[in-house]
Amino acid sequence: MFTLIKREIEDHIAYFIGAIILSAVLTALLTSAIYYDDPGERPVFVVLSIPVIVVLIIGFASMGVSQMYTDKNRKISAFLSALPVTRGRILTARIITGILAILIVIVPLIITGIFLRRLFAPPIPIFSGLIFDISAPAFLMAFACYCLGLQTGWTSSRITPTLGGLVLTCILVPLILVKGFGTHIKVILILFIVASLIRTWQKFKSTAL
Amino acid sequence: MNESVVEIENLVKYFDGRYVLDGINLKVPRGCIYGLLGRNASGKTTTIRILLGHEPATRGRTFLLGAESTSLSAKVHSRIGYVAEGHNLIQNYKVGRVVKLCKDLSSRWNNKFFKHLIETFRLPMDRRVRELSIGMRAQLNLSLAMAIDPELLILDDPTLGMDTVVRRQFLELAIDVIQQQGRTILFCSHILSDVERIADRIGILTAGKLVVDCPLEELKERIKKLRVIFSQSAPENLHLTEIINQQVQGREMVITVANWNRQKQTILETFKPSSCTEIPMSLEDIFIECTRPSLIPLPAEKEEL
Repeated sequence: MFTLIKREIEDHIAYFIGAIILSAVLTALLTSAIYYDDPGERPVFVVLSIPVIVVLIIGFASMGVSQMYTDKNRKISAFLSALPVTRGRILTARIITGILAILIVIVPLIITGIFLRRLFAPPIPIFSGLIFDISAPAFLMAFACYCLGLQTGWTSSRITPTLGGLVLTCILVPLILVKGFGTHIKVILILFIVASLIRTWQKFKSTAL
Repeated sequence: MNESVVEIENLVKYFDGRYVLDGINLKVPRGCIYGLLGRNASGKTTTIRILLGHEPATRGRTFLLGAESTSLSAKVHSRIGYVAEGHNLIQNYKVGRVVKLCKDLSSRWNNKFFKHLIETFRLPMDRRVRELSIGMRAQLNLSLAMAIDPELLILDDPTLGMDTVVRRQFLELAIDVIQQQGRTILFCSHILSDVERIADRIGILTAGKLVVDCPLEELKERIKKLRVIFSQSAPENLHLTEIINQQVQGREMVITVANWNRQKQTILETFKPSSCTEIPMSLEDIFIECTRPSLIPLPAEKEEL
């Protein structure tokens, strides 16, 4: 399994570098938002959060698409399946790689958030669950995009994954902006993830390689 | 020896509006070198892909090393070496990276043997797979398949693109593997002289059906090509069963018959031919006769040997 995960990371290293850069930018933004705590400046960060969401959605969806599309067109799984590897393991390694890329973006933000909360936030209960309330839906959103990317990427056509990504962006961005990072969005995203993972698993396990 | 390493039960594959495989039954015993022959698009590669679980079957079941193809575990895979038609290797990887990947994923990697193969074939480890010639890709694929010391080696047209010298080297390597007791090889090729050299059992696929499945020697014994000359014009119907091919020109008739025996000879003699001579047949001749679209419709059951 480790070999398969390593192969996926090496093949999609650009996404990991992108994730590190995005994480660094977001950490810097978060830190500066707290340091320069001027109420008049806050809307700028609110406005900035929209492109961040769009980048997360497109980035992780395209990572999923790229993994499946290159596999299908370069017949990577066909080659790996001739080795002591099952299709289930190939897909599991791929999903673990996607989760790792998401964690690269989110974990530094969580750590920074915890530090900043301890340093600056007043010790009142409203702030205690704040980091989890933001990071859990953010993770689920990124993972949902990634899963949908996996599902749409298993094709030889270039149009399907592109359209799939666009539709996803059009649905998720307004949904998050309207609903916010609440319980409703968590439930919707979990359902989204389960459905697309089941479909991807079924498609990947049953189609000809 | 009775244990079947490859087993196919009533395999049917329907694809693109036609039957690619139409009720194939096959058993390859341990230690056998099975040559699966057939013309282009006769279903050889599809059979192998279904066996390896790369393609779903429409109907029927297939087994490799006792495990059903649809659920082959990594452990079973580790005992199978496979050289795919067209040499499915990751094109943008360097040779060294492909080798490392295979080595890391295999539980029974024979490094000494692999190094020997790489040196024999002079494969460059620092070049990308797509930069290799077809022949070199075939050699790399073969080396990777051999290095895991496979119990079952599946070769789908492995010598395609190889020059004569390399092809000979490959065959010698295959013979090396065969000499290791208990090794089984399922071998597809268009180069029938190669198959004739190493196979001990032959299967011929025609129009999705396995029309021949028997030991090579038996096949040569059972299929006879006869030149029969009659004193007058040749009869339209000899009333012989299992005629694979029949050509008539004036007084001369050339027939290819399966399961030639005393009884069939007696029937032929009732037509009082002036002469009857046997034309020697190589495997290639037999293959051509068996896969030629016959003018005479043959009952499917009788066709099978």
